[in-house]
Amino acid sequence: MSFFLQELVNGITTGALYSLVALGFSMVYGVLKLLNFAHGDVYMIGAYIGFFVIQWFGGAAHVSIPVPLLLVIMFVLAAGVTGGLGVAIERFAYRPLRDAPRIAPLITAIGISFFLENAVLLLFGAQYRIYNTPEFISLSSGIRIGSVTIDTVQIMVVLLSVALMAGLQLLVNRTKWGRQVRAVAADREAAEMLGINVNFTISMTFFLGSALAGVAGVMGGLLFNQVTNTIGFIVGLKAFTAAVVGGIGSLPGAMLGGLLIGLAESFTIGYISSTYSNLLVFALLIIVMLVRPSGLLGQAQLQKV
Amino acid sequence: MEAYPVKGRLFIAAAAVGSLAAAGCSSSSSSSTAASGGTTSASAAAKTCVASIGMEGPLTGPVAPLGQEQLHFAELAVAMDNAANKTQITLVQGDTQLNPAQATTVTQQFISNSSIVAVVGPAGSQEVEAIGGPMGRAGMAFISGSATAVALTTGTYPTFFRVVSKDSVQGPQDANYIVKTLHPKDLMIVDDQEAYSTGLVSAMLPIFQAAGIKVDHESVSQKVTDFSSLVAKVTPATSVVVLPWQIAANAQQFGRDLAQQHKTAVIFGTDGLFSPGTFSITGSYVSSFGPDITAIPADVAIASAAKAKYGSFGTFGPPVFAATHVIDEAIASVCKAGQTPSRSNVLAAIKNTHEPASILGQPISFDSHGDLVNGKFFLFKITSTGKYQLIPSS
Repeated sequence: MSFFLQELVNGITTGALYSLVALGFSMVYGVLKLLNFAHGDVYMIGAYIGFFVIQWFGGAAHVSIPVPLLLVIMFVLAAGVTGGLGVAIERFAYRPLRDAPRIAPLITAIGISFFLENAVLLLFGAQYRIYNTPEFISLSSGIRIGSVTIDTVQIMVVLLSVALMAGLQLLVNRTKWGRQVRAVAADREAAEMLGINVNFTISMTFFLGSALAGVAGVMGGLLFNQVTNTIGFIVGLKAFTAAVVGGIGSLPGAMLGGLLIGLAESFTIGYISSTYSNLLVFALLIIVMLVRPSGLLGQAQLQKV
Repeated sequence: MEAYPVKGRLFIAAAAVGSLAAAGCSSSSSSSTAASGGTTSASAAAKTCVASIGMEGPLTGPVAPLGQEQLHFAELAVAMDNAANKTQITLVQGDTQLNPAQATTVTQQFISNSSIVAVVGPAGSQEVEAIGGPMGRAGMAFISGSATAVALTTGTYPTFFRVVSKDSVQGPQDANYIVKTLHPKDLMIVDDQEAYSTGLVSAMLPIFQAAGIKVDHESVSQKVTDFSSLVAKVTPATSVVVLPWQIAANAQQFGRDLAQQHKTAVIFGTDGLFSPGTFSITGSYVSSFGPDITAIPADVAIASAAKAKYGSFGTFGPPVFAATHVIDEAIASVCKAGQTPSRSNVLAAIKNTHEPASILGQPISFDSHGDLVNGKFFLFKITSTGKYQLIPSS
């Protein structure tokens, strides 16, 4: 039983991370019908920002400010910079192609992904940057129930993810901006005729989606301790799968998809074999697509963004 | 082909670092900078000995830290050898990303480039298998500083050489050490789904099974960074986890996950895990095809030059330095014989390599299949201060 619970904790933590990144995929797809393959690299940039903030304040072993303040700065700065990066990517890479055949922005997205990866390689080198999280958040500071361990970082990741997802839901459902996003997602031209500033709405969507990826990047750095220019690929791929499984364009779907992928991975590794984890995760994608081509919540969810 | 006399190394290293610095970090301009620093007579001599060497390595991608280290040591070797031999050798980079298909493309480019007379690399055994045929047909010598698969030196690839030992030595040596010294009852071994890793696992498994050890064989991609679910499978009876991996940061995270879940298993890693500063889990073991050159007195100058120019390094760079040096000396010997360097005469010179000493702390010569004669592996244990301590019996 304790083994099951440990894998459940691990799966929920990883799933929360995937969900945050998947939300960005889903939001962008909702408004532009674009698969933003550069999204995983925005996650990577967020992770780098978190690392450099730690270094700026003395390094993991000698943090010069209170740790909660350090974490706030890491998350806020990562969200701000990656949000801005998302806006810039949309403005300069996708907006000029908004009316082009759909394959054009898709290829551009792949190009942006490679550009970001290699730009970071050029700027920061190939070496892995290590967060050294246990130096400032002790491994023993979490909860231990029997042989099940939940460390502080895992608790923080899950709570922050849930808060951000709930906040995003409120933003989309209860605010004027949220209504505008939904209107643009439903019919961009009609929204424009009704006086909605479509460009601004799309830019804000990119900002929020990218900011969430940036926050997830910091979470990933804290959880997995390492940052390099290629870390966005696998997370991006899993998050994209989560978005599709949940029903791309649906925010609750992205959250559910992320959680399912995280749990599927964790239990496959735990109960079957790590060798087959990717096989089974992507088999899950195929099965869901065969049974529900629009994803688990793709049709039932009315609130597309 | 003699190694540098120790007393001359400091001067050559200083000159090489100076020339590299003057090159403004350009990765392929070491020959021109070395030549520009020479005297008139040296310049005249250099004009008679001009050649290019290809360098294949994973310069980008997940294992780029290893590839970049290899590139840095190849550059350093070329700079030092140009300064010492008054040659004008240029290094041409090729990024393989540890991908056989990419390596094939790079190799075709190198073969088409008539100025390239030999190649350093590639890094991975799977890449050697992909390019061995074309290289052989082109008559181009290539020397790897890290490809260790047994099948590479069975005569299939006549122009292939390596300056490191092979899996049939490392796998059994490591497995026997684990069995006889660490005495595990249960053991987990995790490959990283690359040929290097699966090859070592294949060499180790029979020894563990013959010793009656209960083995849990797992497999994770190099791109995975979340090991929490896998670590949850480490049982209290599992006292050793073997990680024949190439990415030290992944092993560090694995060790952190072990600690986070209060597991006490000892990590036993290979080659890529030799990375002081990145992998520092106390009590872990790392076996490596390369020595820690910072602990070899004769290598002080090279180690200092490398650290000053490129920062800290592991064990992937020095063997590439050795491989590049072999080619540099082969080219120089061809020139001294009054010939123009070509693929055929450089290949012949490499076959005749007899270096009594090398950066690796051992002589370098090759057997008829291109294997390093008397190649060996080194075993280290990580102390509580993160230092890699050589285990003498290894």
